[in-house]
Amino acid sequence: MAAGWETVIGLETHVQLRTKSKMFCGCSTAFGAPPNTQVCPVCLGLPGALPVPNGAAIRLAVRGALSLGCTVHPKSIFARKNYFYPDLPKGYQISQHDQPLATNGTLSFVSPERGIVNATIVRLHVEEDAGKSIHDRFPKATAVDLNRSGVPLIEIVGGPDLRSPAEARAYLLTLKQLLEYIGISDCDMEKGSLRVDANVSVRREGVTALSTRTEVKNINSFAFVEKALSVERDRQIALVESGGSVTQQTMLYDSRESTVRPQRSKEESHDYRYFPEPDLPPLVLTPEFVAEEQSELPELPPAKRDRFAAQYALSREHATVLTASRGVAEYYENVVRAGAEHQAAANWIMTEALADAKDHQEQLRVPAAGLAQIIALVKGGTLSHQAAKRVFAEVAAKGGDPRTIAESLGLIQVADSNVVAAWVTDVLGAHAPEVGRYKNGETKLMAFFLGQVMRASKGKADPKLAQRVLEEKLASAS
Amino acid sequence: MSDAKAVADRLVKSKRLNALLTPSKELRSALTAQAAAARPTGVLYGMPVAVKDNICTLEFTTTCGSRILEGYRSPYEATAVTKLKAAGALIAGKTNCDEFAMGSSTEHSAYGRVVHPLDKTRVPGGSSGGSAALVGAGALPAALGSETGGSVRQPASFCGVVGIKPTYGRVSRYGLVAFGSSLDQIGVLGRSVHDAARVLSVISGRDPRDATCEDRDPLRLPTVPESLQGFVIGLPREYFPAELDPAVRRACDRAVRLLRDLGAAVREVSLPHTAYAVPTYYVIAPAEASSNLARYDGVRYGPRFDGHADLRGLYRATRGQGFGAEVRRRILVGTYVLSAGFYDAYYRRAQQMRALIAQDFRNVFDRGVDLLFTPTTPSPAFKAGEKLSDPIAMYMSDIFTVTANLAGVPAISLPIGRVKGLPIGGQLIGQAFLEDEMLEAAYALERVVPATDEA
Amino acid sequence: MSVSRDDVLRIAQLAELDVEEDALPDVAEQMSRILDYVAQLSAMPASTNGTVKTFVPGPDAIRFRPDEVAPWPLAFGPAAFAPAFKEGFFVVPKLGQFE
Repeated sequence: MAAGWETVIGLETHVQLRTKSKMFCGCSTAFGAPPNTQVCPVCLGLPGALPVPNGAAIRLAVRGALSLGCTVHPKSIFARKNYFYPDLPKGYQISQHDQPLATNGTLSFVSPERGIVNATIVRLHVEEDAGKSIHDRFPKATAVDLNRSGVPLIEIVGGPDLRSPAEARAYLLTLKQLLEYIGISDCDMEKGSLRVDANVSVRREGVTALSTRTEVKNINSFAFVEKALSVERDRQIALVESGGSVTQQTMLYDSRESTVRPQRSKEESHDYRYFPEPDLPPLVLTPEFVAEEQSELPELPPAKRDRFAAQYALSREHATVLTASRGVAEYYENVVRAGAEHQAAANWIMTEALADAKDHQEQLRVPAAGLAQIIALVKGGTLSHQAAKRVFAEVAAKGGDPRTIAESLGLIQVADSNVVAAWVTDVLGAHAPEVGRYKNGETKLMAFFLGQVMRASKGKADPKLAQRVLEEKLASAS
Repeated sequence: MSDAKAVADRLVKSKRLNALLTPSKELRSALTAQAAAARPTGVLYGMPVAVKDNICTLEFTTTCGSRILEGYRSPYEATAVTKLKAAGALIAGKTNCDEFAMGSSTEHSAYGRVVHPLDKTRVPGGSSGGSAALVGAGALPAALGSETGGSVRQPASFCGVVGIKPTYGRVSRYGLVAFGSSLDQIGVLGRSVHDAARVLSVISGRDPRDATCEDRDPLRLPTVPESLQGFVIGLPREYFPAELDPAVRRACDRAVRLLRDLGAAVREVSLPHTAYAVPTYYVIAPAEASSNLARYDGVRYGPRFDGHADLRGLYRATRGQGFGAEVRRRILVGTYVLSAGFYDAYYRRAQQMRALIAQDFRNVFDRGVDLLFTPTTPSPAFKAGEKLSDPIAMYMSDIFTVTANLAGVPAISLPIGRVKGLPIGGQLIGQAFLEDEMLEAAYALERVVPATDEA
Repeated sequence: MSVSRDDVLRIAQLAELDVEEDALPDVAEQMSRILDYVAQLSAMPASTNGTVKTFVPGPDAIRFRPDEVAPWPLAFGPAAFAPAFKEGFFVVPKLGQFE
């Protein structure tokens, strides 16, 4: 980035709430159904239909607001946002405007450039999603699917507190983790359950006033967040440096060209003519309702990470990895509770379990008790680490008891010192010249002897035991 | 139990009124089928009830008197209609109305005007003119209408029938095509208080499909009282201005005398913000309407009109050709009063005035008054074409009715006399959710008032 | 106060309504009459004590619907009433040259 410039970014995030039915009607919210099959008079915007709010959506919204430390308002009002678009069946979106559900929260995240940043959450409000417009299915026409119309959303508006595209990405990832933790959304950018629009402006370093900003839309992945914002920032800097000025407009990100271009369509003027929704009474929350949601809040990521580091004597990096998702954190604690040693459990999960999960829709396929058993088998010398990895893979794919599987695969290590001693004797006997060289100082040959013992035992010898026996025998004989 | 054929015959005979939008053949076959299927244990068993065409039915089309919904068959029916059918009533066709219920004369229908049952040169009132005309002509005992600013009571007054507007939230609006959402209610036209009230009772009550419908049991009907001893009836002076038509005043005076004879105490009261009611209404109703009618865009239902080369073209062709002039005018006014820079001066100000108007009613009712009595309309039915050139002249015919919609309170109009042979109505306005008291007084008055006598 | 020709065009655009060129003066005049009439409301003082209530009838608070998949019934699907429907989608002309 050109020197002497500061970037100012604020993100508006739309998050789909994990409810079974839509915000204002009883249609299913399930993803992937054939078009226009999850519709009813309400979400089709048929004449005479009326909205009826989903209590679970409000609960989840309140939970989200509380997790961000927002003030949840006991009374808020739904409002109509009026504009015309084919996937907006009523010609207005039911949202909130003057009196939103919640205001004034914080999202703390780690900026790649300046440590911990406490970004302000200006407001969080509830609204309904629009349907989907598909522009490339029919020639010269737009195809409209209203399955998504009416799905519950929360809009989270962040203040202009981010100072780089990389920070924007970090903020989003932290927000995603938080909302997944509290279980209110899948936060999947590919599926569209998390969408982001960014407000971007630039100013000379040292200037405190905010410059004219643009809104960047059509960002479809976390990676594109950084790219799109970098592109827009550079565009604005170049524009101002060449004597021009930034006009307030909406820019669409084109991921194929890696460019932004102005969106001239949709609404020439942004006069949404907000007014209170006359089909809905005020949204009133009792103190008990809010208190209940507050008490149902789970341990949030920063607290859990700090506790893991302290309680399980883990490094901060390891604690971060293990608490990145609530599912993994619970798994870790279950494995430890089943008797596994803290660091071993951490290592196994960070390597084997997470790698397996990545290829299997994030499923942790080996039950916690099973993993604890595998770890114990290794610790007790019954399985070598390599063998244990094989057992892990078997249990992951087919289930079953780890010890039984190890036996049936013939992986149980031989830890009988007599048997091992016999192999050692054979190996040393067969390699007298190497024994001589070892005694003359080539101690590196230990690895060779060990390898030979493992070969002779077809991998079954307990390597640690084998090594000890080798050392004894090599030391004693002269 | 009415014979389906006899019902159909009576309705077909009233064709000259242009009150029914349902073609005769379709009406006959639907009535026959319904009569066969009607539940004999229903409290309205066999009663034919027509439905205003801005209320969704599975039988017949729902056009709202507009081209933009020409031929539209709703895939669901209004809760009120479901309840009527469950009570054994026969849905006797859809009635003509001002387009999207916007009007006071039923001259703004895309399907031609409705004719007054007694004088074909006059209007039946609106917007529920078709329903009122059919009941007024004796073709039906009752019909559903809708109210936003008086669209049931005003045509009831013009056509010499009973018209009831329930408390806002008494009857579900699910399936009532929205015009002014915070004002709309389904109402009932009936040839007698009893007929209208019976129907109202059936269609009232909680509905999980309407968040503005109160969680209450259906309305329980009172018995006809012996006297009105103990009732205190207020006469708001603002509804009896000096310039009130003397014949209308005479009819009201006669009705008030009768109320006194029945034992009611009558006293003068004041609703000081009445003068602001019509302007308040004509900000709020168009504003809400402009938003409610945005869904008519040609995308998902209704006909498509020529001239849609691109999306904007589709919208403009559909809405330009599909909506009539009065609807377009109200959408423009409504859009204007909600637009940036004008919201506070118009819409917000109107909602504040509305609070003052509602407070006027509460103040009066809190001081021991049970009901109010007023004329329903400042005059009897006017001539067709008389008020078309000046929209404000048309709006002024709502002057005595809009306050009840703004305050959300119930009101009933019943015929109290004739002015040069034309019916005129008197109105009782009640307290929120106390329709039973209002109906008691209406029953009692109906029994004694000489409704067909010159005032 | 008067509604200008340009006001009408701007409002008509927001409402997706076409107003014919030659109809503009009439529409502007009618709108002006109506808006002048309703402007009486500004005669009321803005606020006497700082908080001026608004009023909407109906319930005081929302009563929630349970989170169940139980849609209000449709007697028939969109294919039966849509003006243009293909492969399960509503079809509309594209938005001019902007998209």
